[in-house]
Amino acid sequence: MKLRFWGVRGSFAMSGREFLRYGGNTTSIELVSDAGQRLLVDLGTGATELAKELMAAEFGKGAGVLPILLTHTHLDHIQGLPFFTPFFIKGNEIRIMGANPATLPLEQTLQNQLAPHYSPLNGLENLAAGVTIETFTPGTTITLPGFEVMTAAVPHGSIWTTAFRIACDGKIVTLLTDVEYPSPDEPLPEAIALAKDADLLVHDAMHADEDYESRRGWGHSPAHAGVVVAERAGAKELALFHHSPDATDDMIDAVVARTAASTSVPVFAAGEGAYFDV
Amino acid sequence: MQITFWGVRGSYPVPGAATVRYGGQTSCVEARTDAGDCVIVDAGTGLRALGNKLAREANGAPGQYHVLLSHVHWDHIQGLPFFSPAYIPGTQISIYALLTAANELDQVIGGITRAEFFPLPLASVPAQFQFHTVEPGVALSIGAIEVMPIALNHPFGAVGYRMDGDGSAWAYISDTAPFDKVLHKQHFLSGLEPLSQVDRDALQAMHDGLLARLRGVDTVVYDTHFLPEEYAKFPHYGHSTPDHAIEICVAAGVRRLVLYHHAPSHSDEQMDQIAATYLAKGAAVGLEVLTAFEGMTVAIGVAS
Repeated sequence: MKLRFWGVRGSFAMSGREFLRYGGNTTSIELVSDAGQRLLVDLGTGATELAKELMAAEFGKGAGVLPILLTHTHLDHIQGLPFFTPFFIKGNEIRIMGANPATLPLEQTLQNQLAPHYSPLNGLENLAAGVTIETFTPGTTITLPGFEVMTAAVPHGSIWTTAFRIACDGKIVTLLTDVEYPSPDEPLPEAIALAKDADLLVHDAMHADEDYESRRGWGHSPAHAGVVVAERAGAKELALFHHSPDATDDMIDAVVARTAASTSVPVFAAGEGAYFDV
Repeated sequence: MQITFWGVRGSYPVPGAATVRYGGQTSCVEARTDAGDCVIVDAGTGLRALGNKLAREANGAPGQYHVLLSHVHWDHIQGLPFFSPAYIPGTQISIYALLTAANELDQVIGGITRAEFFPLPLASVPAQFQFHTVEPGVALSIGAIEVMPIALNHPFGAVGYRMDGDGSAWAYISDTAPFDKVLHKQHFLSGLEPLSQVDRDALQAMHDGLLARLRGVDTVVYDTHFLPEEYAKFPHYGHSTPDHAIEICVAAGVRRLVLYHHAPSHSDEQMDQIAATYLAKGAAVGLEVLTAFEGMTVAIGVAS
């Protein structure tokens, strides 16, 4: 299984020189099986960059198939949806899968995003591709071509987001983003179970550890929380993810250095760029 | 009066190496009179950095801010929840917008902070918000700035603004299609639709109204999202080319045009080419043509 981060930034897309190495796009992660099957997680602005590559291949001809999992529907995780060009080509088959937000069904939530005052698309029905909106209850396992995905609800401030344990080609990637535990030192057992023996744990690291105290309750983790999950779960590698919009490349480097010095688990910061083998 | 560009991009923010010089954030311009009266035009993602600057200047004190919106498509409102002065208690924020495809402006703006989209609802934000519906042709005053909304041609409607102050004037004309091939109404367009005579008359009236409002304006900031070959493919998207903007500005006798609302696909290298091409095209017809980049400040009026 290969993985590519197309967007690693939380909350807000950041352009400019200070954000070039890790990238300023909001969250989007692509997984590709050895057989070439794709799975996309989240539709932040990073998805618009992936869209260009997809359109140069089968999606430009209306022959693309893509399942998309949403962790939740906060804007930084869906803001690329109206600009994800494979939606505009007839013949593409795209499944959007997520849990229903507590306050509104998923389909109505996405319809609201495309409401006529906000978007000239004026509704999902105007997307030319075949688009289905499918919901699941966190806790269930989803079987997709090439991927087996376990899901769990985790707390994110006043809402719940979905964490994923994705199995493919004998490897495991666990995505735990937009999550805040009661304490970073006491991650929820569900989170640890989801990351058990994972080859790669991608974890919310919105806050540098020293910034966390003043931002407790905002729904995000300090870098240290990912370390605790990785160690208790026996994960083989930890990727810090969902970087703060205020975190420049140099600041992220410093967080990685301090975090790596605190654990025997290999640590790196997720950055936009190339495909790598899990 | 001077204007500063905080976001110059259309559609969605584009981080990365290709947009470092012109900038990747979406629509947001700050206008300031010599006396310090401030108007913010559009609240795209550029608003976040502007808000951080204004909050630093305010040093924790509540302020009063005025935000004119051309319309409420995402790229023009997405910065609002990240406008840091809104989190200072006592701050007052007045939002002015055309009512398009919705009944209540506060619900449209409040809708972007629904629980599905954002952690904190508008009602819980410490700042007080006031909502004002604008209408083309109905003037309003913000401090020493006289504001005139102008009808534009964009899906579900948009307005431009002429702003007079300190003895000069500038105008913000974004987003708009040209006024010939398509009349944008309140429905989705998958391509061009035939124009009736009523449609043609409406387009002519919008075109003539825009020209009348732009007479005597020093600097016009104009939606030039597309290059001509791109426009030819997407004439129904509601955006113009620099050639369309030059034609309007020359007809209205404007001194200076600023190209704005750049397509997210245009790299810095392409923007350099566009800037050079249209600087020359403008010069040939007596129009100064600038190309907006993030951080650019332009003084309005000719220094005496």
